[in-house]
Amino acid sequence: MTDVTAGAAAADMRGSPDLAVRMEGVNKWYGAFHALKNIELSVQRGERIVICGPSGSGKSTLIRCINQLETIRDGRIVVDGYDLTGSKKNVDLVRQETGMVFQQFNLFPHMTVLENCTLAPMKVRGVSRAEAETTARKYLERVRIPEQADKYPAQLSGGQQQRVAIARALCMNPKIMLFDEPTSALDPEMVKEVLDTMIDLASEGMTMLCVTHEMGFARQVADRVIFMDRGEILEMGTPDAFFGNPQNERLKTFLGQIS
Amino acid sequence: MPLIRPFGLPEFWIILMAAQWTIALSAIAFAGGGLGGLLTALARVSDSRWLRGLSTGFIRLFQGTPLLMQLFLVFFGMNILGLAINPWVAAAVALTLHASAFLGEIWRGCIEAVPSGQREAATALGLRYVNRMRYVVLPQASRIAVAPTVGFLVQLIKGTSLAAIIGFTELTRQGQIINNATFSPFAVFGSVAVIYFMLCWPLSVLARRMEFRFSRSAVR
Ligand SMILES: Nc1ncnc2c1ncn2[C@@H]1O[C@H](COP(=O)(O)OP(=O)(O)OP(=O)(O)O)[C@@H](O)[C@H]1O
Ligand SMILES: [Mg+2]
Repeated sequence: MTDVTAGAAAADMRGSPDLAVRMEGVNKWYGAFHALKNIELSVQRGERIVICGPSGSGKSTLIRCINQLETIRDGRIVVDGYDLTGSKKNVDLVRQETGMVFQQFNLFPHMTVLENCTLAPMKVRGVSRAEAETTARKYLERVRIPEQADKYPAQLSGGQQQRVAIARALCMNPKIMLFDEPTSALDPEMVKEVLDTMIDLASEGMTMLCVTHEMGFARQVADRVIFMDRGEILEMGTPDAFFGNPQNERLKTFLGQIS
Repeated sequence: MPLIRPFGLPEFWIILMAAQWTIALSAIAFAGGGLGGLLTALARVSDSRWLRGLSTGFIRLFQGTPLLMQLFLVFFGMNILGLAINPWVAAAVALTLHASAFLGEIWRGCIEAVPSGQREAATALGLRYVNRMRYVVLPQASRIAVAPTVGFLVQLIKGTSLAAIIGFTELTRQGQIINNATFSPFAVFGSVAVIYFMLCWPLSVLARRMEFRFSRSAVR
C-alpha cells in the first residue's frame, strides 16, 4: 500500500476503508426531476452487485454517481475510503481506481485497440509506453482478443469492441468495475462472450456493480441483487431470496415481465 | 493629362506580386484566428458560465457586424488609443479577431458533434480536462472541422480584399492602383479575380480530398 507518512495523511480523508462503496442519503435531481431518492448502499470489497429495474428507474444514474460522471445535490458517497463530497482531488483518485464499461462501448474510434488501452495508463499514471503496451497485451489476452491489438474499433464486432472496453478499463488496474448494461447493445450471439469475460473477472475477486437484465448472470455471479424503480432502491437481497421470494409488488411484476 | 500606359505583362506582374501581401495577411489572420478560435471554442463549451457568456458575446459581435466595420473600428480605434495608424497592423488585428470569432463558432459545433460518450469514457478512465480534450475530443472534432475550416479560409482570403479600403496595398488595392494608371478596368480586375481564384480553388479541392480521406479512415 502507501508508505507510512502518506498513509497517516490519507487516513484523515478516508473513512471505513473496509467498504468499496458507501452511499448515504444520496439525492440526485435533473432540474426538477428527482432521479435518485435517498439512496443508501454499502458495497463490500470483492462484492458483486447486480442492479436491475425498469427503464428510467435511475440505474445508470446510480452507478454514474460512483465515479462522478453525475454530481449529486445532497448525501455522501465514499469510494474506497475517499469521500467524494466537495473534493476534486478525491474525485480524480476515485476515477483512477474505478473502471467503467458502457452500453455503447465508447471506444476511441481514432485510436487502435492498443492505443485505446495504453492512453490512460500513460497519461494518467505516467507509465512508459513499453510498460503500458505490455499491460495492454496482457489484458487483451485475458479478454481473448490479443490478435486485434492493431485494428481500429470500427473493424471489430460489437462483442469484440465491448471486450476491448473491458480490457481498456482493466489496464488502469481498477479496484472497482462499473458496468452499465454492457450487453444491451449486442447481437444475441455476442452476449455470451462478454458475459463470460465478466464472469472471469468476478471469479478473480473484482468488486463489481453491474446494471444488467441478464438474470442468468445475476444468479450465477451476484452476491446481491438490487431492484430500483422511480429513483428508489425497493429491494435488495441474495439472488436466491431476490428471485425465489421477492417481497415488493413492483419487483414481482418486473420479474414476471422479463422472464 | 497624365500619360496612360497600356496594361501589359509588367503591370500583370506587379499585380501578381501584390498577391504575396494577400497571402501574408490571410496566413497571419488564419494562424492568429486558429489560436483565438480554439480558445473561443473551448470557452464556448466550458463549464464556466462566465467564459461561455464572454465567448458568446465575442462571437455574436463579430458575426453580427460587417467585416468592413470591424476593419474601420480597429483602424480608427488604434488612433484613439494613441497608436500610430498602420494599415498593415490594423488589418492583421481586425482579421485575426474576425477569424477567431468565426473559427470559434465553427469549432464549437465540431467539438459538440463528438458524442458525449467519448468524453465520459475518457473521464471515467481518469483523464483530466486537458488530456481529455487533447487526446480524445479534439482529434475527433478536427476530422469534422476540416471542410468547414477550409471553407472559412477561402472566405478569409477573399475578405482580405477589404483591407484595400483602409489603404493596405494587397492584391485588390494594387489592382486599383494599376487601373488608375492604365484605365483598363476589365483586364485589370479580371486579372485580380483570376489570381484570387487560383488561390482559393486549390484549397477547395484540398478540403474535399481531406474530407474523403478522413471519412475513409474513420468509418463507424
Ligand atoms: N441528463 C439528463 N437530464 C435530464 N434527465 C435525465 C438525464 N439523464 C437521465 N435523466 C432521467 O433520469 C431518469 C433516470 O435515468 P437513468 O438513465 O438513470 O435510468 P435507467 O434506469 O438507467 O434507464 P435505462 O434502463 O433506460 O437505461 C430517467 O427518467 C431519465 O429520463
Ligand atoms: Mg441506463
